Amino acid sequence: MSIATEREIAARAKRPIRFGVLRQMVDRRSDYLYVLPALIVMMIVIAYPIYYTIELSFFNTPSNLQMKDKVFIGLDNYARILTSRSFREVTMNTFIWTVASTFFAFLLGLGAALSLHREFLGRGVLRAVLLIPYVVSAVAASYVWKWLYHSDFGVIGALAVQFGFTDRPINFIDNIHTVLPSLIVVNIWKEFSFAMIMLMAGLQTVPDQLLRAAQVDGANAWQRFWHVTFPHLKGVSMVTVLLLMVANFNAFIIPWIMTSGGPAGASDIWITQIYTIAFGRQRYGLASAYSVILFIVMMTLGYFYVRALTRGDDTRVK
Amino acid sequence: MTNSQDRAQRSGSPVRRQLIGYAVATLTTASLMSSTVFAQAVDISQWSPEYIRSIAGTEEVDTAATCSAVVPLDYTGKLTYWWTGPNEASPDIERQINDEFWAAWKATYPNIETDAQNIDYNQLLDKLRTALLGNAGPMVLRLQILGGIEFASKGYFQELRPEDVGYETANFWPGAMKSVAYDGKYYGIPTNNETMGFIWNADVFKRAGLDPESPPATWDDVVTYSKQIHDKLGIAGYGMVAKQNAGNTPFRFMPQMWAYGGGALDEASDTPTYDTVEINNEGAKAALQASYDMYVRDQSVPVSALTNTQNENQQPFIAGQVAMVIAHPSEYAKMVDLAGKATGADKPVADAVVANMRYGLIPKGPARRAVVFGGSNMHFIKPEYVDGGFDETAAKAFACFYNSPEWSTKLAWTGSNPGNLEGFKTKWMKERLDSIKFLDVTTSMLPSGIPFPVIPQATEIMNIIVPDMLQNALTGKMTVDEAADDAARRVDDLLNGL
Repeated sequence: MSIATEREIAARAKRPIRFGVLRQMVDRRSDYLYVLPALIVMMIVIAYPIYYTIELSFFNTPSNLQMKDKVFIGLDNYARILTSRSFREVTMNTFIWTVASTFFAFLLGLGAALSLHREFLGRGVLRAVLLIPYVVSAVAASYVWKWLYHSDFGVIGALAVQFGFTDRPINFIDNIHTVLPSLIVVNIWKEFSFAMIMLMAGLQTVPDQLLRAAQVDGANAWQRFWHVTFPHLKGVSMVTVLLLMVANFNAFIIPWIMTSGGPAGASDIWITQIYTIAFGRQRYGLASAYSVILFIVMMTLGYFYVRALTRGDDTRVK
Repeated sequence: MTNSQDRAQRSGSPVRRQLIGYAVATLTTASLMSSTVFAQAVDISQWSPEYIRSIAGTEEVDTAATCSAVVPLDYTGKLTYWWTGPNEASPDIERQINDEFWAAWKATYPNIETDAQNIDYNQLLDKLRTALLGNAGPMVLRLQILGGIEFASKGYFQELRPEDVGYETANFWPGAMKSVAYDGKYYGIPTNNETMGFIWNADVFKRAGLDPESPPATWDDVVTYSKQIHDKLGIAGYGMVAKQNAGNTPFRFMPQMWAYGGGALDEASDTPTYDTVEINNEGAKAALQASYDMYVRDQSVPVSALTNTQNENQQPFIAGQVAMVIAHPSEYAKMVDLAGKATGADKPVADAVVANMRYGLIPKGPARRAVVFGGSNMHFIKPEYVDGGFDETAAKAFACFYNSPEWSTKLAWTGSNPGNLEGFKTKWMKERLDSIKFLDVTTSMLPSGIPFPVIPQATEIMNIIVPDMLQNALTGKMTVDEAADDAARRVDDLLNGL
């Protein structure tokens, strides 16, 4: 075979790919037309706000100027955020808030799912009861917990005094050291049901015959869980953890209603900080830069989420 | 939150309404002619509880007639309006007056379709900022006194003064007019002026060994009294409020700071320039130290002060668990209301607290006696930022009606004082003085009123930086000096556009 012939073959091999994609698009134009309306709506409600937020992050928006009079300052907003002390504090709070909430909500959800997977009297009632935190409005729950935690007249503090655990009501949310753990407890209470539902669905996929076979082989409960059940839950666990992390990164209602980020910023997380900067201080440019940073983090998490969701799809297609 | 008014238009013959309109217009002319005889401005130089009592009930007004001279009563149009009105924590009488107002408005201008939104005090500013960015603001807005200049400076408000809706600037308190002025122009009409007073529980004072009829004369006395009450009775002495991002906080802390000789800027001086930062001067630090002493050293105030607004102080006060608070005269009405709703064993306690409520002047400091000159103002938003266009005639009719001596007085029934000083001459003012305990105390505080800095950055300074400073010091995150210096740096940065 001559060199020219080899080139021709190589060129031919490439050509169908390029034209093939185009041809496929032309051949399937009606499919694209079906998704076009959704695509247009997404461009308007998602793509444009993202573009505008990124654009705004390069501007200063002083409180005496309208948005149209904003001042271009390049990357100053990013530099200001990344070098500020409050960013480090808020990032640490966000990290603790997200990781602790996700970890414990997942753990509690897993425990509840495993318990409810067995048949026992009253299982249905208990399942419904455990779902209550998930269906209760986050706003209502936050107000209720705020009063339960109240540092002077809260029920929890009063009970602690009555039973002799403490001399005076426990200071849950007016203390910079206890406020974040206290809010995390509320968050875990609110979202562990979600993990429970997801994992209960996952447990349905664990083959009974495998568990029985393991039992026949002499595996104890822990070994059956670790070697049979848990591997089958890996996929759903991954998705649950990622969804919880995304939700916790974006959590606003509980910290805002209960403490507004206080006292002294001890419960300020990224999202509450962004809200305060934007709507309390009207630094829309600075808040946008903050949002872009959060967006990058969320996209990274989203990438792993999609990967976890689509894992095995290619194998199935083949 | 949303309180959309009835949009249905009244049925009836247009000819009949036209005839009524002409008749009212004729009566109006006669009424205005007669009203000029007694419509003299209130003499502010004579301001005292006795003077106010002497003028109350000396003037008859006819609101419909007055407003028909500005906008015919049969005018057909539409109005959108945002304001902070009564909420669940408000006394029943405020909700009742609010209902009466909307009924009267509908009866007077039946053809103006009205969409009114009652928005929470702590949310109105945020909602407005967002709405204006999307050109989705209301036509008319009633905003806390602190908030207006920010929007005026950004060019969102139309120029507006009392003369535009049938009243005279001279009939509004000068300090209030100052709060709607920016760059030499007026952008609003003061709807109500409020100055708070000092409330204490005489029974608690007595049990703590204090004179039950004498409030603390100075802020140092407040610290001492608070400690004595806490040490002797185990309850909170002073109802401190130090929540972040909440207007209640500066309204209670700034009088203390001004009294000690401090200030955010130089707003407490006779001729403020707003270009010197005083939030970390000796007076400001002394005020912050006094708060620190009460919260940290003596632990004589509620632990929950860092997450409390004044609303959260009301229940402990009525339960006899807090002895002293800074509040509006409406606090008495609220307490009467709460006592009325108390049941069982709570009832006698609540009734006793109401009977033992005393109201006095806010304590002095080494520099002065001071109180925030508060209230609200009405503004018109420029047409390009209004959702659905601006109906100028409807807006003027509403502004005339709302700011009339009658409604200016009635809508300020328990909470404050009428923005239109003519309201002090009405029979409703007399009724208020006769029925609301301690009202004359709060009117006596008006001359001690200091407005927040009239600059666009005022909301951030007062709602964010001042509470942050308090929280930084009270939680021990920073020392008093560090917290004050940190606040000064932030104010300085803010004024420099950073």
